[in-house]
Amino acid sequence: MIWLLSVEGRQGIGRDEAQYFRAGERYWGWFSELGDNLEHGHPGRSFTAADIDRYWSDNAPDHPVVMKVLYGLSWRAFHTCHCLGATRGLHPVPIRARHTTLPLFARESTAFRFPAILFAALLVGMVYRFARAWLPRGPSAVAAVLALAQPHFFFHAQISCFDAPIATMAFAVGFAYWKSLRDPRWGIATGLLFGISLGVKHNAWLMPFFLVAHYLWMRRGDWRARRLPRVPLAFVAMLVLGPAIFFAHWPWLWVSPMARARAYVLRHLDHEHYNFEYLGFNFNQPPTTTAMKWVRATAPFVETGLTVPVTTLALAAVGASVLARRRRGAPVDPQSAVSEAAIADRPSWLRPGADVDRAPGAFVLFQTLGPLSVLAVPSTPIFGGVKHFLAAMPYLALLAGLGLPTLGRALREAIPAARARLRLAMPIALGVLVCLPALVETRRSHPDGLGHYNLLAGGFAGGASLGMNRQFWGYSVLPMLPDLDRRVPENRRLYWHDVLSDAISMYKRDGRLSLEVGDTGFGEEGIKRSEIGILFYEKHWAKYEAWFWEAYGTTKPVGVRAREGVPMVTLYQRGVR
Amino acid sequence: MEISATEPATPPSRAVRFSLVAAVLVALLAVVETTVALVAPSRAPTDADWAAAAAAVRAGFHPGDLIVAAPGWADPILRMHLGDLIPPEVAARMDDDRFARVWEVGQRGAHAPAAKGATVAFDERFGRLRVRLLERAAETVTYDFAAHRAEARVSWHDARGSAGGCAPAGERVSCPGVGSILFHPQIVEVDQKLREALLTEPLRTATVAIEFPAVPLGRALVIATGLHDTWMRKAARGTVEARVTVGDQTTVLPVTSDDSGWTRTRIDTSARAGQLAPVRLEISSANPYDRFFAFAAEARRRGAGRSPRAGSTGWSPRRWPWER
Repeated sequence: MIWLLSVEGRQGIGRDEAQYFRAGERYWGWFSELGDNLEHGHPGRSFTAADIDRYWSDNAPDHPVVMKVLYGLSWRAFHTCHCLGATRGLHPVPIRARHTTLPLFARESTAFRFPAILFAALLVGMVYRFARAWLPRGPSAVAAVLALAQPHFFFHAQISCFDAPIATMAFAVGFAYWKSLRDPRWGIATGLLFGISLGVKHNAWLMPFFLVAHYLWMRRGDWRARRLPRVPLAFVAMLVLGPAIFFAHWPWLWVSPMARARAYVLRHLDHEHYNFEYLGFNFNQPPTTTAMKWVRATAPFVETGLTVPVTTLALAAVGASVLARRRRGAPVDPQSAVSEAAIADRPSWLRPGADVDRAPGAFVLFQTLGPLSVLAVPSTPIFGGVKHFLAAMPYLALLAGLGLPTLGRALREAIPAARARLRLAMPIALGVLVCLPALVETRRSHPDGLGHYNLLAGGFAGGASLGMNRQFWGYSVLPMLPDLDRRVPENRRLYWHDVLSDAISMYKRDGRLSLEVGDTGFGEEGIKRSEIGILFYEKHWAKYEAWFWEAYGTTKPVGVRAREGVPMVTLYQRGVR
Repeated sequence: MEISATEPATPPSRAVRFSLVAAVLVALLAVVETTVALVAPSRAPTDADWAAAAAAVRAGFHPGDLIVAAPGWADPILRMHLGDLIPPEVAARMDDDRFARVWEVGQRGAHAPAAKGATVAFDERFGRLRVRLLERAAETVTYDFAAHRAEARVSWHDARGSAGGCAPAGERVSCPGVGSILFHPQIVEVDQKLREALLTEPLRTATVAIEFPAVPLGRALVIATGLHDTWMRKAARGTVEARVTVGDQTTVLPVTSDDSGWTRTRIDTSARAGQLAPVRLEISSANPYDRFFAFAAEARRRGAGRSPRAGSTGWSPRRWPWER
């Protein structure tokens, strides 16, 4: 968490995050008004359809509101209030008085982002706790470190969006389900956590499929005995508590529950295919030819192979072989005292994994490959790249942790018994060593984790040469803000390209941009009206560059923001030749 | 770290030996990956490298030279330093074949496609950049169709034998009874790359014919076609059929679709080299919705490349619609 908090300020604000800032603050507005209504004795006013829609229709039906509410509450609680100053008019809800806060953060955007960072930290902790059931402390700690030290996950972990939080929730649900196999209390917890997950992001819809797949495999003895496996408590709880929590948590649904829930579901079942670059192709709709379908189907696997640190992948491969070689009933790690063998004679829906081996290999396999496989379906949008299957990444890190003891023991046994200290130190050194590339690569990637590719690809430059996605949604402008701010008076007529006005507002609220900096609007007309303008390098924006050439009469940018020589954003100025 | 192990009483088993090899490999991989991650950022060219490379290019630049970056993704940085020598018509060129001298500013061992088969006349490193002057056999453009848009006659005909002419109307041409279509020079986006081209549209019920009545032919006519605009390619799936008639010689062009990219066709006109002949392009589509058909065409003969024209870059200042 400290790592994330110490660096999040270098990462810009994307289109999606800017909207969640706005929505989160607006949702807070509803709570604020509810407080006022309670104080005045008519709380019912906050529950009228008009009042609910006034606040909660923001960013609906796109996403449910667990995280956005947390972002709004965190902002309200922890920002340093300059709310009555010059930026007062930039808030989506009226600021009537100075906010009393616990001013933990200088920037308002950090206060918004804090819950996402907490969720990422929670995930690291959970990976450690989960691994500890199978592994000693050292490899468990390595798994936890490797869960965070992935450039693309790290990018998403510090922004107030939903991709890292839903990865946390997917792991939490999986963790609870795993424990529920032998402990009924966790069955209820699984349902509760699943309900919260439904309120975080729609990826939660997929969780039951991966869990059911494991459950059916674990209880394959029932099929052989020609009897149906009992429905476990965890699934009952998910079925009952999941929808209940989902409907309860989202006021926007209350107005017309079925119609609006349907609109939300359809929104994602029929989601637009935004542009995304993969292996030199720009995907913005499902491929139609067989060849392109095959190319497209490889995306999640190749993206994983080219973005996760290679050492982590190698270690995960060793971990996978450890699980594959494990005999039924044996512990996951041969040195572990925790056996996976049956602990009861009879099956029970309360402890459905007590009378059988819990099949840890199948569990990790489904949790890892499940999210990737869904994204391999050619008709699925891939516009978010790795963020769409981040839920697989903690399990990949867990696999890496599983691989470590085997290698550590081999190293240890290769050293003569007389060199006791070296024998002890070698596995520790290996543990530290395998974390190093992940940590260094992650640090290197920041704040442009989306454009970073691993050793196999050749880093930023290798990714660009392979035609892989470099960025999306305008986040990468942040390092240019001081320069843009200095360009007076041209910046009064500034074309912001893919930077949403909500993001510009937040940069101003954060004090990173003068209030006078302008925004000439969208598209070709926005460029024509501007004196200076930026352009993000993504394949599908090519024609915008032509508009700059036409409007400004030059192909010569006055500045290019690059990472390791790879252009990210270009700055044009009218009349500069 | 708590990794315990039993003492080996016997020589290590095959599995242990395998694990040991794996451990050594993983450790080596970690060292290599860490080292590369630390070193790689310094492999990128610095501003000073670019400034020095740009100075070298300027010192040897002749009007009509082409300047390219290798890999191509470095092009925006190249233009930041040398953009005044790369006007829009060069940056959005149809292809590289007409350039006899190509300046390649390369990095990381990459070479531009234009370097293939060229003689290296200059080769010098500037920090992380390598500047090469490549000299090669090129073609001289005898007629650029986009530059002669005003000479074009647009007409239409349909399967029932009806036909008619189309009249210029600003950036469009009006074809009475069948519709109005775009027909103007524009920097188009085909396959996410910019190209200087003539932009037009197929008609729903008729074939559009665009005729340039007197084209001074060389050894070849090169025509490139594609569909403009990412969003339009996303919005529709119709294809465009096209054929070119040079004099009495007709060539069917590859079908232009969302996925066909920027497709070049070379038509041998050596038998008529030096003659004036009409060149007629006919386009049709069964489903013309949102089909923005872009084409660039040039008549070419072998020679020392395009003759430089006015201006320091060697390119004439074409009057574009936005300059009017």
